[in-house]
Amino acid sequence: VTLAGLAVRNVLRNKFRAMLTVLGVAVATLTFIMLRTLVASWAEAADFAVKDRLVTRHKITFVMTLPRKYADTVRSAPHVKVATFLNWFGGKDPKHDKEFFANMAADSDTLFKVYDDMAVKPAELDAWMHDPEGAIVGDVLATKMGWKVGDKVSLESGIYPSRTEWEFHVSGIYEAKARSVDRSSFYFHWKYLNDSLPPERKDQVGWIVSRVDNPNDTATIGTQIDKIFDEKDIQTLSQDEHAFTAGFMAGVSAVMTAVNIISVVILVIMALVLGNTIAMGVRERTNEYGVLKALGFTNRQIVWFIMSESMVIAMAGAALGLAIGYPFIEQGMGRYLEENMGSFFPYFRVPPSVAATALGLAIPLGLLASAIPAMQASRLKVVDALRRVA
Amino acid sequence: MIPIRYNLRSLAVRRTTTVATATGVALVVFVLASALMLSAGIKKTLSISAQEDVAIVLRKGSDAELGSVLDTGSVNTILGAPGVKKDETGKPVGTPEIVVVGAMEKIGAEGLSNVTIRGITPESLRLRPRVHIVEGRPAKPGSDEVLVGSRIKGRFKGTGLGQAFDLRKNRPVTVVGIFEDEGSSYESEVWVDLDTLRAAYGREGSVSSVRVRLESTAAFDLFKGAMEGEKRYGYLALRDGEYLEKQSQGTSLFIGMMGTLISVFFAMGAMIGATITMYAAVANRQREIGTLRALGFSRTNILVSFLLEAVVLAFAGGLVGALASLGMGFVHFSMMNFTSWSEIVFGFDPTPKIVGTSLGLAIVMGLIGGFFPAIRAARVSPVAAMRG
Repeated sequence: VTLAGLAVRNVLRNKFRAMLTVLGVAVATLTFIMLRTLVASWAEAADFAVKDRLVTRHKITFVMTLPRKYADTVRSAPHVKVATFLNWFGGKDPKHDKEFFANMAADSDTLFKVYDDMAVKPAELDAWMHDPEGAIVGDVLATKMGWKVGDKVSLESGIYPSRTEWEFHVSGIYEAKARSVDRSSFYFHWKYLNDSLPPERKDQVGWIVSRVDNPNDTATIGTQIDKIFDEKDIQTLSQDEHAFTAGFMAGVSAVMTAVNIISVVILVIMALVLGNTIAMGVRERTNEYGVLKALGFTNRQIVWFIMSESMVIAMAGAALGLAIGYPFIEQGMGRYLEENMGSFFPYFRVPPSVAATALGLAIPLGLLASAIPAMQASRLKVVDALRRVA
Repeated sequence: MIPIRYNLRSLAVRRTTTVATATGVALVVFVLASALMLSAGIKKTLSISAQEDVAIVLRKGSDAELGSVLDTGSVNTILGAPGVKKDETGKPVGTPEIVVVGAMEKIGAEGLSNVTIRGITPESLRLRPRVHIVEGRPAKPGSDEVLVGSRIKGRFKGTGLGQAFDLRKNRPVTVVGIFEDEGSSYESEVWVDLDTLRAAYGREGSVSSVRVRLESTAAFDLFKGAMEGEKRYGYLALRDGEYLEKQSQGTSLFIGMMGTLISVFFAMGAMIGATITMYAAVANRQREIGTLRALGFSRTNILVSFLLEAVVLAFAGGLVGALASLGMGFVHFSMMNFTSWSEIVFGFDPTPKIVGTSLGLAIVMGLIGGFFPAIRAARVSPVAAMRG
């Protein structure tokens, strides 16, 4: 029997307590993974943003539009390969007016050239191009609202009240080729919108999105575009998609910081539960440590003896937590969030790095939790330990 | 009944274990209470300015003033609707307003943040009697003078008293006053003259919303009926309170749900901790329990006593957690509201109900955590236990 072997046996001595502790560690691990996945998934949208995509919008505010001819200017700017433009429509389905989804009027000819990370079947795309009232919707949105290709959809918009109800046909459904793509958006022809507007609101675009030929130089190209408009009536602000998304997300960074802190707090609770169990075991077995010492085991060996017991429990708990957490997050929670909060969490899955961190942390936490009882046991004098009654 | 002093002393003897378990419970209670307080704080900030007899009209199909467009012609229709209060001179009490979002440079942080800018008329201030200037003076109507809410004063470039910032290029406005409104979300806004804002943002011919004072709270139904009767335009009439509550729904629900979910998992962890502690307590005190039984205490007495001990343990932790969470009442932080897309400064709002709820959770954790150990204690056979 080695000391490590004895440590494993010791874990099983009070099976019920060991089981409860493993369960406690498992719950903590599960919570930790859940919180970290939340933060990671939130950052995902920015991390996976396409670096060669440039968003140009009104300098002062996103609620104001740019003249349509700005899009042509951007297209002819150096280093711009292709550019599209969109308008925020702010529409709702009156039958489901609690459901929020992004809906935009887009320049049909260029939309999917700029957003080549959205995949539409060629036949459906072709049908869309031939239907002025056609719309392309995300697969998650279509499932949620029960829309199929060919369905009629009507939306009402507070921003564009020139019609009380706008009618659309679902021409096609797009799927995501990248993780940062929101699968709950609704796109329709910009021309359809523009043709229905009163003269004073015609020929305006919300923002312009372009692809540039050098992804490492996106910021500089953006600055150059802004310079073109600097002397015009309306100035622009061009940011690469990463900066654009990051700026948007900065608004809730305080919450994400809080979640990060909380994920550390759960580790503290876990260490408390684990440390408590170890301390109890050490107290009950004080005599045995006395015997071990009398047999000639050194203080350092005793410390390792107790710490390895703690680490065994911690690792078993972490493994169990991971085993429960994976299906729970991927099948349950993640699916729900992707469907209902897709614009914030387009891809809610456990990142391998988070799973690895959770497993890896089990070792230092096991060490930390058992530090105090292990030190106490190692400092015991043989005589006292043998005499002491638990 | 076994005197509670027995339990208190038992807890005191096993100091380390008691403290470890109670700390676990304290952390759980702290997290839950803080999340609930933030959720309540968001709700309060966004709805404190609500007045019973004020109604707001938006374009049908919009959720917020930001996404609503009413043409100027509608303003008189709305003000002339039945149910709207008239002042001494017979003029209806109400005002059109424009709400936009502007990107401003946040001091001490990189990049731009969105701030809500509201175009107001002198009537806007009359409609909100609780708004008062705390520094400087009121802005002159029709001028380039603006008021800034106290919570964002100086947080963005040019928003300090006497400073100036550009509404758009070459369109500077000067801050002449700082206002307060009992901590409402208006305190995170910039208020500009309606016509100045309209010119700067190219909103000629339209407004975002019209707010009116009603003859009485009950007059709302009459007013709403009249507004919805105007089929040609499609108006949405809401009570001020109802509208403001809608604004906080998404964000406060998100925080509340996340807080609850996290707390449930936390509570599970801490409950397991309590169970382990109590099982150990029962195991170590076999002899004591046997003695108590021999002295004539019933199984129920033992069960109650150990349950009580678990509850006391959890409650002590809960109390510490709840007290610590009260400290969060001093913390304010800036967060984006999902409905208005702009940053609002929120605080934590400690209400007695939240403190009660979190202490309740602590007691429940004690009860559940102590239940099975207490049953085991009650099952101890006196003879076997005393023999050892």
